Amino acid sequence: MSDAQIFEGGYRRYEGQRLGAAHATRAVWSHTLRRILGLGRPARSKILPVLSIVIAYVPMVVFVGLAAFLPANVREPLLPPYALTYTFISAAILLFVIFVAPEALCPDRRSGILSLYLATPLTRTRYLAAKAAAVATALLLVTLGPPLLYLIGLALQSAGPDGFPSFMATLGKIVLGGVVLSAFYTGVSVGIASCTDRRAVAGAAVFFVPQAVNIALGISVFALSAPEWLIAFTMNQGALAFVLGLFGEGFGDDGTGYVVPMVALGAGVTLWTVAGGTLAWWRYRRLQVTR
Amino acid sequence: MPPVVVAESLQKNWGSTRALDGATFTVGSGVTGLLGANGSGKTTTLGLLLGMHNPDGGTLSVLGMDPRTHGSEIRGLVGYAPEHDALPPDVRAYEVVAHLAEVRGLPRREAAGRASDVLFELGLGEERLRPVGTMSTGQRQRVKLAQAIAHDPELVLLDEPTNGLDPVQREEMLRLVRRVAHEMGINVLLSSHLLEEVERIADDVVILDQGRTVAAGSVVDLQRGEGPAELLVEVDDGARRLGKALSAARVSVTVVDASRLVVAFAGDETYDAIRDALAEEEIPVRRIAHRRETLEDVFLAAGDAATGAAPR
Repeated sequence: MSDAQIFEGGYRRYEGQRLGAAHATRAVWSHTLRRILGLGRPARSKILPVLSIVIAYVPMVVFVGLAAFLPANVREPLLPPYALTYTFISAAILLFVIFVAPEALCPDRRSGILSLYLATPLTRTRYLAAKAAAVATALLLVTLGPPLLYLIGLALQSAGPDGFPSFMATLGKIVLGGVVLSAFYTGVSVGIASCTDRRAVAGAAVFFVPQAVNIALGISVFALSAPEWLIAFTMNQGALAFVLGLFGEGFGDDGTGYVVPMVALGAGVTLWTVAGGTLAWWRYRRLQVTR
Repeated sequence: MPPVVVAESLQKNWGSTRALDGATFTVGSGVTGLLGANGSGKTTTLGLLLGMHNPDGGTLSVLGMDPRTHGSEIRGLVGYAPEHDALPPDVRAYEVVAHLAEVRGLPRREAAGRASDVLFELGLGEERLRPVGTMSTGQRQRVKLAQAIAHDPELVLLDEPTNGLDPVQREEMLRLVRRVAHEMGINVLLSSHLLEEVERIADDVVILDQGRTVAAGSVVDLQRGEGPAELLVEVDDGARRLGKALSAARVSVTVVDASRLVVAFAGDETYDAIRDALAEEEIPVRRIAHRRETLEDVFLAAGDAATGAAPR
């Protein structure tokens, strides 16, 4: 006679631990990050993230390859300084920024699942914080990853900074630069994306609003003789200039003659980051999901 | 068992509109219908129960906690399926259910297991890997129900769960809601404007009208009510002839249509009068039964009382 028994499956009550709002926030962060990167989604959802990451990393891989295969005296003039790596990745950052925040925020409002999220232990602030954290994490892939790869690659080929203190100093600047760029683009893009539930509109706005601000500032300074420090408030260039400044490269060193101090650039980056975040927070506070 | 929800003199204003105006009710175990016309305050009540808004007046307790101060804890123990579409069309049913169970507090592995189990329980085992956008309305409503119960809540709030369903799907959804309460042991608060629907599956009912509770209690008690005793007589044909015969016998009668009439019941002599009239007119009878008061009668009577109108 067999010992096998048939158990009635039926509905099981859950007797385990129930985790709180911090767990819910992490769950939304992780789910959003996967969505942004197209993980577990159809192939077409992976095109933009993969393209952005390839554009950002390929130049660094090429430079590390040059460092590995060319003799020291040949490779030296070919390898760009660390600050210059940001100009190589700026196109990838812009491409990534255009779709990351819209992908993170807009579908939740459009599909209505936001009303379900707000019926969980999450508050509006926690929900938005989880979404912003996911956007920032995704952006770090292109703002921090490539310069970090370049630094580590060169260091492994003995072509990096001389000595441990110098290596650590460069590493610190790269980490700070990556975090600043990620925070800036997160604040601005989340703020803009919070104004619509349509991804395409949000993506276009994330691209064009900074351009419009920059044009307005350019006209004010160059044509209407407004104070030069206003240039610090140009959106994308201002943030990039701040990061270049960390490596000792001044904004305006390209011959325009307008040299903007780091403090002003830092103020500009902070202003736009905080303004974008505040706009998103205000929009989500007012958003009506149920009555 | 203590009540799941206790609301006393609940008030809520949206600008100058008074959505709730002193609603008082309790929700016990089983299925409770929250009944009322559109704009009567049902959805506002659900929002207050979830702690998504704060009441402007009155007191509210959900699972023994105040939603104003314990909103997050309450939302972890309550499931919610809104009236409108709320599921992302490009995500698979299983993923959305598992994700929301995790957000509501279950560990990831547990959430994934329970999502599968619940979708099977609700008859979506084969469909669980399909994107929600490719499903029929009935299937999407079931996914919405699944996400509301996957974390095994103490109470689930369902806002018009049969909206947009055809009669067959509606029947199936009502059967599932009843199963959720009576087999799975999850208390259900079912918001609906469809009286007949609530009458069929609810154990208790709360009727709202213009933000006020106009009736509350068990469906059976409310149906018993205090209305006049009446008999419903169904015949093959000739209800009008039968009506005339009964009137001649001094029995109060209302002809409903060619085959039905309602007779005021005054005791056994009413049966005798009906029997005699049927025999005299040679009308074949189909059924004679005490007329059951419906929730619609209760709702209309309560509405009349609230507005001071004459009873119908």
